[in-house]
Amino acid sequence: MNDFPVLSILGLLPFAAAVVVGFLPHGRELLAKQIALVVSLVMLALTVAMAISFEPNAAEPFQFVEKTPWIEQFGISYALGVDGIALVLIAMAVSLGPVVILAGWNDADDNERHRPQTYFALLLALLGTIVFVFAATDLFLFYVAFEVMLIPVYFLIGMFGRGQRTYAAVKFLLYSLFGGLLLLAALIGLYVVSARELGTGTFDWTLLAGMPIDPDTQKILFAGFFFAFAVKAPMVPVHTWLPDAAASATPATSTLLVGVLDKVATFAMLRMVIPIFPDASEWAAPFVVTLAVISIVYGALVAIGQTDMYRLIAYTSVSHFGFIILGIFAFTEIGGSGSVVYMVAHGLSTAALFLVAGFLVKRRGSSLIPSFGGVQRVAPLLAGFFLVAGLSSLAMPGLASFVGELTVLIGSYQRWPVAAVIAVIGIVLSSLYVLIMYQRVAQGPETENVKGMRDAVPREVVVFAPILALTLAVGIFPKPVFDVVNPAIERTYSFLQVAPVEPEVPVGDVTTDGAATDGEDS
Amino acid sequence: MNPIVPILFLGLLAFGFAAFSILAGSLSGPKRYSRVKLDAYECGIEPTPQPIGGGRFPVKYYLTAMLFILFDIEIVFLYPWAVAFDQLAIFGLIEMLLFILTLGVAYAYVWRRGGLEWD
Amino acid sequence: MMPHLADGFTSPTFEYQLLAPMLIVFGGAIVGVLVEAFTPRGPRRTVQVALGLVTLVVAFVVLLAVTRPKLGDLAASGTVAIDGPAVFFQGTILVLALLSFLLFVERGVDSAGDAFTPSGATIPGSASERELVAARVSQTEVWPLALFSVGGMMLFVASNDLLTFFVALEVMSLPLYLLVGLARRRRLLSQEAALKYFLLGSFSSAFLLFGSAFLFGYSGSISFTGIYDSLSSGVGLDPLLLIGTGMVAIGLFFKVGAVPFHSWVPDVYQGAPTPVTAFMAAATKVAAFGAMLRIFYVALGDYDWNWRPMFWVVTILTIVVGSILAITQTDIKRMLAYSSVAQAGFILTGVTAASDSGLSSTMFYLVAYGFATIGAFALVTLVRDGTSEATHLSRWAGLGRRSPIIAAVLSLFLLSFAGIPLTSGFIGKFLVFEAAVNGGATPLVIVGAIFSAVAAFFYVRVIVLMYFSDPPDDAPSLALPGAATTLAVAVCAAGTVALGVVPGPVIDLAQEAAAFIR
Repeated sequence: MNDFPVLSILGLLPFAAAVVVGFLPHGRELLAKQIALVVSLVMLALTVAMAISFEPNAAEPFQFVEKTPWIEQFGISYALGVDGIALVLIAMAVSLGPVVILAGWNDADDNERHRPQTYFALLLALLGTIVFVFAATDLFLFYVAFEVMLIPVYFLIGMFGRGQRTYAAVKFLLYSLFGGLLLLAALIGLYVVSARELGTGTFDWTLLAGMPIDPDTQKILFAGFFFAFAVKAPMVPVHTWLPDAAASATPATSTLLVGVLDKVATFAMLRMVIPIFPDASEWAAPFVVTLAVISIVYGALVAIGQTDMYRLIAYTSVSHFGFIILGIFAFTEIGGSGSVVYMVAHGLSTAALFLVAGFLVKRRGSSLIPSFGGVQRVAPLLAGFFLVAGLSSLAMPGLASFVGELTVLIGSYQRWPVAAVIAVIGIVLSSLYVLIMYQRVAQGPETENVKGMRDAVPREVVVFAPILALTLAVGIFPKPVFDVVNPAIERTYSFLQVAPVEPEVPVGDVTTDGAATDGEDS
Repeated sequence: MNPIVPILFLGLLAFGFAAFSILAGSLSGPKRYSRVKLDAYECGIEPTPQPIGGGRFPVKYYLTAMLFILFDIEIVFLYPWAVAFDQLAIFGLIEMLLFILTLGVAYAYVWRRGGLEWD
Repeated sequence: MMPHLADGFTSPTFEYQLLAPMLIVFGGAIVGVLVEAFTPRGPRRTVQVALGLVTLVVAFVVLLAVTRPKLGDLAASGTVAIDGPAVFFQGTILVLALLSFLLFVERGVDSAGDAFTPSGATIPGSASERELVAARVSQTEVWPLALFSVGGMMLFVASNDLLTFFVALEVMSLPLYLLVGLARRRRLLSQEAALKYFLLGSFSSAFLLFGSAFLFGYSGSISFTGIYDSLSSGVGLDPLLLIGTGMVAIGLFFKVGAVPFHSWVPDVYQGAPTPVTAFMAAATKVAAFGAMLRIFYVALGDYDWNWRPMFWVVTILTIVVGSILAITQTDIKRMLAYSSVAQAGFILTGVTAASDSGLSSTMFYLVAYGFATIGAFALVTLVRDGTSEATHLSRWAGLGRRSPIIAAVLSLFLLSFAGIPLTSGFIGKFLVFEAAVNGGATPLVIVGAIFSAVAAFFYVRVIVLMYFSDPPDDAPSLALPGAATTLAVAVCAAGTVALGVVPGPVIDLAQEAAAFIR
């Protein structure tokens, strides 16, 4: 079982399928969709098998390891492997695969420019790159996947989007490329440093993590890495591409983009930034946490003011990513694990919101909130979905987001009490934006706008059910996820100098920012 | 002997010959001036633009002039070889033949493609 | 009477097996001239095409089979160095020339014949021109001219003294001046381009020659080895050395199209027949960079602390100006021209590293760039408005729907220029940036990274046009490429992907070859 290249198959299978689907002739649209769905289900089955045989407490950092030399001259190898964090995120992404394919079943049918075959080929290719980006343990391979990932999204937005799709696609690509190229510069810098420190240059994570780098170099390289991931995440003030992209893309694309793809950034902060640049991470933490808190509050405030549902959901994500980054840079195990759970929860809740909003928009032909009203009366099931999706986003207890948000706040309060307190404002605001949106869309008397709106069809129920099931599962019984994630988080933070703040420490003892300094002394 | 001296001597000789020719010509030749004779000499073309045609002249002129320079230079290259042909031996002979052959190819091209026909 | 000549005079030596590839190319060119002279008009073109292609193939085979195993020697009495970089560049030039020749052959895309005017000497639009067009005559001198140019390029990258260097430069450039002026369509534009190229080119040659004279004045030697030696002994005429270095650099910067010596690039690339543009943009750039590397790494190798600041400035200017001006272009050939200026900047980043990895990374980048460039220009020939190429960008709108394959392949080349992973351009960028960081030129890399994003904008804009816009009502016709163009584009596309996915072998080749001899 261990020699079975499960990660390669998981990553390459959708690419192969994408080629097949992309070249299907006219008239075989249905076959294209079926192939895409079947492949995504096979991926899900493989992931489940992988998750079952995963050993959370194994000694080595990565499991299902594959390694083949790729460009030997530069110590680059095709190296794959997953730790608990990567496994959880891949599982989240792959579970969303069949969901978005079903949800986007008819997205491309009435597109006069491009064929559905292309749409599903691009979705499959995107799923493949997502697997690689989470599974790569070679930084060069990660970078390749990180950049290649942009291409399918770019075409998905530009070809199949609506409204200002071209503008949004180009903006998305340029923002990402700008960050990505600075990441490339930093990556090359890291390679040169590794050549000096280790004798031969390498991109292998296992060698780079914990490698001694002098603090000044670390800060420069950290800046390059962090900037790229901040753009991707997206953090205020480099977030403006996201609302445009989300407003123009199809809901299926937005789900993958916001729900999964942006997690690459927060994943990479945990996987790369902290273990490779521990000193710089500690040095920059106050700054990062400040930005995260600004993201939380700013994203939530702007979300309240949106009239476009997609843009609103995009801004809620800006706010939620603030929580995730706050949790990561709390440097406490509970905060770190919480942020991973929150990544999963956010992926699910965003998927639910985008997809249900997509169902509504499809019926009404507009994504503006004022063009709805009283949906509940004509389409109670759909309105119910919308409410549940919203509640999941505002972190209702019993749903996955609550677990994530709570643990992030506990973890970050131990290290950054002031930040955590301000972040709580974000939670309050989140109930505002969700409930206001729900009220305007679904409640009240039935308006002219929504007359004759059809309730959820079986396909839509099938789309929503698994998301709801997963959200509930993680929300009620998150232990399996924590069990898988905790050892990896522990390893991640073991590279830091700061002593972990013990969860048992009474809250009263840690009231000032001095907590971090105290930790360093011990 | 300083190698500059023969060069200086050669220069003097050239200057002297030129001076002598001009002097001898002006002393011994008949003095019948015409419009053409008083014009500045310019290798066969009209030195000043003509009122009609904007001073155009046949492009053939350039062709002939360039061909002349080409083969002129060929001769120049033959001189150093001639001076040292014994040291260069068979190698020099072959190289020189190759050189002449290359120019011969160009000559054949010009000839066959009508470059030497004036009309 | 001249005793000093006889003393110690030895006749020069020629290592024919080392020079064979160049001799074959020059020989092929000379035979081509004879073909022009003695073959009747009917079969002439066929003979020339066959001769041209066979010459390049044979030269390439001989280069690999005979010259490569013996490399590392000075040949022709030290005037030519057949070392790793020389053979690598010569091979690259031959391959790129072969691909361009395939575009020269193509007569399927233009209803009237190939890309060249039937007779460069006729007045555009005149009766005699129409007569020749009707008779389907073609200007077959293109072939020997291009072969001479290829030979010049091969000598340029191998020349090891200042005289050979200059002669090779001229042998390379003079045929190009003529080729630029031979476009079948838009002949006045083409002739204007040829004149500009000629005037500016001779001007830059003069700079280079003048600079060579200064270097000779400083060192008392025309050989690169001699100049290098005189640098280490420090003869103390530094102003001569500085002026010489600067002027030689100007001449070479002109040839590679670096800012501020780039102004000819867009006009010439736009006016020249597109296959010639492809040839110039790819092969000439390889040759010019090859020669630049040799003179700056070999002759001025120990002087890099003095020439590197100049390269820093030129590199940054080239990347910045090239990228920004490319954004404003509306003609695809001009856009590709400015893109090639920007690319020259990225290549200069590698040159500036002044190290072995700088050399090998530049070599790799040139191969990657050459393939993508020829491919991109080949595709430009296929989109046509009636008879001439539809080069205005707006005419390319909606191409993705009308011809998915052309659009997809062009996107591939553009993504490679933009440096997206899994294409050759990304690996090239990675290598030159790595070399530059290693060589202490990190700020250059940061400028390069930032302006790569700017450059990506105009590459992406073309993709946007092709895929996200609706085709114009009077959309240009799409010519079906003949076998030759198809082959060239296929090879370029395959090369671009292969170098992006499995770059190892070529990196190996470049690293093994990356050692100049002095």
